[in-house]
Amino acid sequence: MVNIGLTVNQKLFEISVDENLRLIDLLRDKLGFHGTKEGCGEGECGACTVIMDGETVNSCLVMAFQANGSNITTIEGMEKDGKLHPIQQAYIDAGAVQCGFCIPGMVLSTKALLDKNSHPNRDEIREGISGNLCRCTGYNKMLDATEMAIKYMEEEKE
Amino acid sequence: MTLNQVYNGNSIDEVVELLGKYGKEAKIVAGGTDIVIALKNEKISPRVLIDITKIDELKKIEDDGEYITLGAGVTFTQIVENDIFHGNLRGLYKACRMVGSPQIRNKGTIGGNIANGSAAADSIPPLIALGSIVSLVSSDGVREIPLEDYYYDQVRDNELLRSIRFKKPKDNQVLNFSKLGLRKALAISRLTTAVLLEFDENNIIQFVRAASGALGKYPMREIEVEEYLLGKKIKNETIDGAVDALQIAMDERLKGRSTLPYKRTAIVSILRETLESGNESKNEVGAW
Ligand SMILES: Cc1cc2nc3c(=O)[nH]c(=O)nc-3n(C[C@H](O)[C@H](O)[C@H](O)COP(=O)(O)OP(=O)(O)OC[C@H]3O[C@@H](n4cnc5c(N)ncnc54)[C@H](O)[C@@H]3O)c2cc1C
Ligand code: FES
Ligand code: FES
Repeated sequence: MVNIGLTVNQKLFEISVDENLRLIDLLRDKLGFHGTKEGCGEGECGACTVIMDGETVNSCLVMAFQANGSNITTIEGMEKDGKLHPIQQAYIDAGAVQCGFCIPGMVLSTKALLDKNSHPNRDEIREGISGNLCRCTGYNKMLDATEMAIKYMEEEKE
Repeated sequence: MTLNQVYNGNSIDEVVELLGKYGKEAKIVAGGTDIVIALKNEKISPRVLIDITKIDELKKIEDDGEYITLGAGVTFTQIVENDIFHGNLRGLYKACRMVGSPQIRNKGTIGGNIANGSAAADSIPPLIALGSIVSLVSSDGVREIPLEDYYYDQVRDNELLRSIRFKKPKDNQVLNFSKLGLRKALAISRLTTAVLLEFDENNIIQFVRAASGALGKYPMREIEVEEYLLGKKIKNETIDGAVDALQIAMDERLKGRSTLPYKRTAIVSILRETLESGNESKNEVGAW
């Protein structure tokens, strides 16, 4: 076992973990953030996406001990004061959510994209979510949702 | 062996010391995009893992005017987002830009791409075309080896791949890259070519270095293509001739392999695209 400390959704956790634990197992099984999903376990599907020190990563490809000292945002960290993040609201309003399995990763990839580029065009949005597979929607709704989210966030600022 | 010891490496010296101590019991983990899958599938079972992602020195991109040095921990995203690679180094930018997905590019490193040893590692052909040198450190000192020779004498158990460096292309040189194959395609079918071209004022090729990915056991330099192109202008018949030269080299190298007919056909458009974009972009970069 090895002792690590990391911040998840603004909260500091100090925990002892198995050497061979992955970040996804730490988040789901030890810390209870079940919004992070495991699909392929091999970096292909993006269901396990979290934001680590400002960038999206596949948490199935990070060892838990590597996250020592890191700052992580999971889908549970997106809402504020009991209110959904505008991106989450837009995904619902645009009808971009069907079974929902891909959505936590999809929303976090969308957030990381908009943090870097506040007005992406449709190609840039496609590229931004290209590491997240969805079996249900065909992706067009995600593009609509992202455009809607951009509007919501602008309105929020005003 | 069961994994029972992990380290968050803080400095190159510390990692080198740990590698010296544990030798083949230990493995480095950088972006984890290759090794975490290998650990999960029990393809490897080290007793010790050493994380190197928190070592700032390994994440630096340095430009001293003559050479560009990439720390082994530089990620594909860092390369894609750095303007140095948008001009005559565009071939390296393209290769990194086409890797996996945003998440993979955020974590995957140049050092990991080299050390993993795959024939289809996308950053390698452009780096070979640039004439890169790999720098490896151990408690015995520093070992430097040209990247094109690296695969025949890869990183040893007690060594850390520290950096890779190449001479900055001259204003009249341009690096290009093309890739066939989808992200989900089998690695083996991800064919690539990279070519560094230098033209004189009459558009004649006066210097060329060419490399390929997935056309052999490892990414490699393509000397026959270089010899054919030197002293010629890029025209349709030159491109055809370069393709012929590469196919002859492949026939020899991949003799009897079931993948040869496919690769032989697929390489035509890939090499053509690399050379044509090299020709077109020569007007856009530097002072001609
Ligand atoms: C979904 C997916 C898509 C991918 N797509 C592509 C693609 O399009 N093109 C491509 O080229 N690759 C691709 N890859 C492979 C992978 O992302 C790259 O090979 C990447 O560069 C590996 O770097 P890393 O830092 O993640 O290496 P790690 O997984 O951390 O390490 C890989 C190996 O290198 C060793 N190592 C790493 N750094 C050092 C060092 N500094 N010194 C000594 N040894 C070291 C490790 O011990 C390990 O054996 C893909 C992978 C996945 C999962
Ligand atoms: S579970 Fe991590 S990418 Fe699919
Ligand atoms: S909504 Fe079902 S996988 Fe995307």
